[in-house]
Amino acid sequence: MKRDLHLFQNPKPPITGSSSSSPAPATCGKEKMMMVKEEEDELLAVLGYKVRSSEMAEVALKLEQLETMMGNVQEDGLSHLATDTIHYNPSELYSWLDSMLSELNPSDPMLVSPEIDNNNSFLAGDSSTITSIGGFPASDYDLKAIPGNAIYRRSNQFAIDSSSSSSNQNNNKRLKSCSSPDSMVTSTSNAPLIGTTVTTTTTAAAAESTRAVILVDSQENGVRLVHALMACAEAIQKNNLSLAEALVKQIGFLAVSQSGAMRKVALYFAEALARRIYRLSPPKNQIDLSLSDTLQMHFYETCPYLKFAHFTANQAILEAFEGKKRVHVIDFSMNQGLQWPALMQALAVREGGPPIFRLTGIGPPSMDNTDHLHEVGCKLAQLADAINVKFEYRGFVANSLADLDATMLEIRSTEIESVAVNSVFDLHKLLGRPGAIEKVLGVVKQIKPVIFTVVEQESNHNGPVFLDRFTESLHYYSTLFDSLEGAPSSQDKVMSEVYLGKQICNLVACEGPDRVERHETLNQWTNRFGSSGFVPAHLGSNAFKQASMLLALFNGGEGYRVEESNGCLMLGWHTRPLITTSAWKLTAVH
Amino acid sequence: MSEKRIISIFKKGNKKRQRVKQVAKFCINDHHDILVEILRRLDGPSLCSAACVCRLWSAVARNDSIWEELCFRQVAPRPSLSLRSVVSALGGYRCLYFVCIRPVLARLPKLLWSRDQLQLSLSLYCVHYYERLYVGAWLSDAPPSSLMFLRKPVNVV
Repeated sequence: MKRDLHLFQNPKPPITGSSSSSPAPATCGKEKMMMVKEEEDELLAVLGYKVRSSEMAEVALKLEQLETMMGNVQEDGLSHLATDTIHYNPSELYSWLDSMLSELNPSDPMLVSPEIDNNNSFLAGDSSTITSIGGFPASDYDLKAIPGNAIYRRSNQFAIDSSSSSSNQNNNKRLKSCSSPDSMVTSTSNAPLIGTTVTTTTTAAAAESTRAVILVDSQENGVRLVHALMACAEAIQKNNLSLAEALVKQIGFLAVSQSGAMRKVALYFAEALARRIYRLSPPKNQIDLSLSDTLQMHFYETCPYLKFAHFTANQAILEAFEGKKRVHVIDFSMNQGLQWPALMQALAVREGGPPIFRLTGIGPPSMDNTDHLHEVGCKLAQLADAINVKFEYRGFVANSLADLDATMLEIRSTEIESVAVNSVFDLHKLLGRPGAIEKVLGVVKQIKPVIFTVVEQESNHNGPVFLDRFTESLHYYSTLFDSLEGAPSSQDKVMSEVYLGKQICNLVACEGPDRVERHETLNQWTNRFGSSGFVPAHLGSNAFKQASMLLALFNGGEGYRVEESNGCLMLGWHTRPLITTSAWKLTAVH
Repeated sequence: MSEKRIISIFKKGNKKRQRVKQVAKFCINDHHDILVEILRRLDGPSLCSAACVCRLWSAVARNDSIWEELCFRQVAPRPSLSLRSVVSALGGYRCLYFVCIRPVLARLPKLLWSRDQLQLSLSLYCVHYYERLYVGAWLSDAPPSSLMFLRKPVNVV
C-alpha cells in the first residue's frame, strides 16, 4: 500500500503551504487532456477523483484493513478476490462485493474520519488531514465515507494509473461552481470507467446508512435520476455545457443510490455523457480484438440474444440450402465462429447427407499479430472433420466491410454453388460513412446469394438529433440490462455488461465516423433493402419454434418474447422488441 | 460356480437326503447382453440409478446404445444412422443426455419431446463441443460454457 502511495506521490512537485486557490500550472503541462484549467477539476470530480494526495494515506490505511479482512476470510466467494481476476469495470463489482462484505462483516466499524483541518497544505508529507476548499464543507469530500468496503483492485489500478494521469494535485482546487440540491449527498460518486484511462475512487453506499444526511427514498431518486439524465442530454443538445456538467455530477450521486439494472445503466450513461461533455473520446482500438471477442463470448453465454440470432439465421440458411450439394457461406461477422458449428451439425444430419460446405469469414485485423481468423478456421475444420462434413475455409481481414470486393471472394457459378451471406450486428456500423452501406449491398447483390440473413438491434439510434438518440438508447439499454438481471451473478454477467457499456459509450460520446453504433429499426432496414433490390424471405415456423424453445430454457425465460413481424423474428423483453432477425433474397429480376 | 450351486451340493451331502432341484441359478451379471437389453428400457432416472449399482453395471451402462434409446424413445420417426456417427463424434449419447437433454427436460418438464427439441439439443451440444476445442485459449481461467444457462443457478452471495 505504501508502495502505491509512493508511486502516486512521485510525479508531483512538492508544494507546501500553498493555499488551495493557487493552481499548479507547472504540472498541468503533463496533462493528457487539453482543457481549460478550471474544467480539469470538474472533470476529475465528475470522473470520481475525490481523493486528494493528502488523503491517500487514509485510503492506504483503509485498504490495508480491507486486505487483512479479506485475507482472514476463507470463503469461496471472497478468496476469489485475492487472485488475479480481470475487472474491467470496477463499479459493477461494487454492488456484488459490497453485499458480500456487508454480509461478512456487518459490524465493520466506520473508520474514524481524520480531523477536518483548514490547513490548506497538501502533500505535506504523510499528513492525513483533509483540506477544505474555500469554505466548502469538507464533508463532501472526506474519506470517512470510505469504510472497509474499499475495493482492493480498484485502488490498485488507481495507483498505477495515477502516474500516467498525473493530475491528482489538482484535486484540491475543486471549484464547485454548481450547487445542486443533492450536493448534500455524502456518498462519493462512482463513475465507471473502462480501460486504462482514469480510474475511480472507492464508493460507499454503506456510508449512507451511517451519515446524518441520507438519500432515503430510492424510488423517488430513481425518478430524479431519469430526469437528471434527460435534462443533461437536453443541456448538451442546447450546448449548455456548464449546466450539463452540473447535471452529470448530480447523476453520479443519484445513480449510486439505486441498485440493480437502473444503477448500472445510469452509471454507463453518466460516464458516456461525461466523456461527451469533456470531449474525451473512448480510446480507439484500445481493447484489442481478443478482448472484445472475449466480451462477446461472455455475452453469448449469459443471455439468449446472440444464441437467438445464430439459431434463427441458421434455420433460414438451412432451409435455403435444402437440396443443394455445394454450399458457400460468407460471414461478415466471423468473431469466434460460434454460429457455424450448429449449422454444420444440422447439415451433417440432414436427409441426403451433408453438402460440401465452404465458409468465408470476414473480420477486423487483430492487434497482436496472430492470425485470428485462421485459428477459428482451424477449429471449425476440426469440428467438420469430426462430423464428416467436407469443409473449405477462407478468412479475410478487412477494416471495414466496405473495403470488400466481390471478386476477392471467388464466387463460383450459381449452378455449382449456392451462396448465403450472413451479418450479425455488423451492418449498422457502415452507416457512419456515406456510401458504405450502398457499396456493401451492391457487393452482396453481385454475389447473388440465395439468402442474406441480417440480425440487427431493433431501435433507432441513428437519428440526427442527439437528444432523440439519447432517449431511445436509454430506453433500449435499460430494457436490455433489465433482462440481464435474471441471469445469475457471475463474471460472465459482468463482462456482458461491459460489452453493452462499450456500445453505450460509443453511442453517446462519439460523433461522426467514430460513432459506429448506429442502430436502426426493422422498418428502416426494410426500406433500405427494398430500395436496393432485396425482398424479404419469410422465416418459417421452424425458426419460431426453435427460438421459443431456446428462450424457455433461459432463466427468466418468462420475460423473453419471440414475435413475428412481416416474416422477421423479433426477440424482446416483455413488450419491447430488442433484436430482429430478417432474411432477404434478391428479386427475380436480378 | 454360483454360490447356490455349492450350497445345493452341500445339502446333497447331508444326511437327510433332500431332493433339491439342481437348477442352475441365473445370474444377470453373467449375461451382459441381456443386461443391456433390460437397461435400454429404463427411463432416465432409473437408468442413472442403475449405473450406480456396482462397477460392472456402471461399465455396462456406458454402452452408448442404451443412451441412444433413451434419447430417441419418444421421437418419431427414428433418426438416421448418420446422426449416430455425428453424435458419437461429438461425444456420444451419454454425454448428450447429461449435458443437454436432461437439463432441458428438467427445465421444461412438460415438454413434448419431438424432433425439434432434439435438434435444438443437438445444436447446443455441437456448440458445446466446439467451445471445448477452445479450452486454454481464453483469457479467463474458466473454460467457456455456453450451456451454463441450462444449469441451475448457484447463489454466490
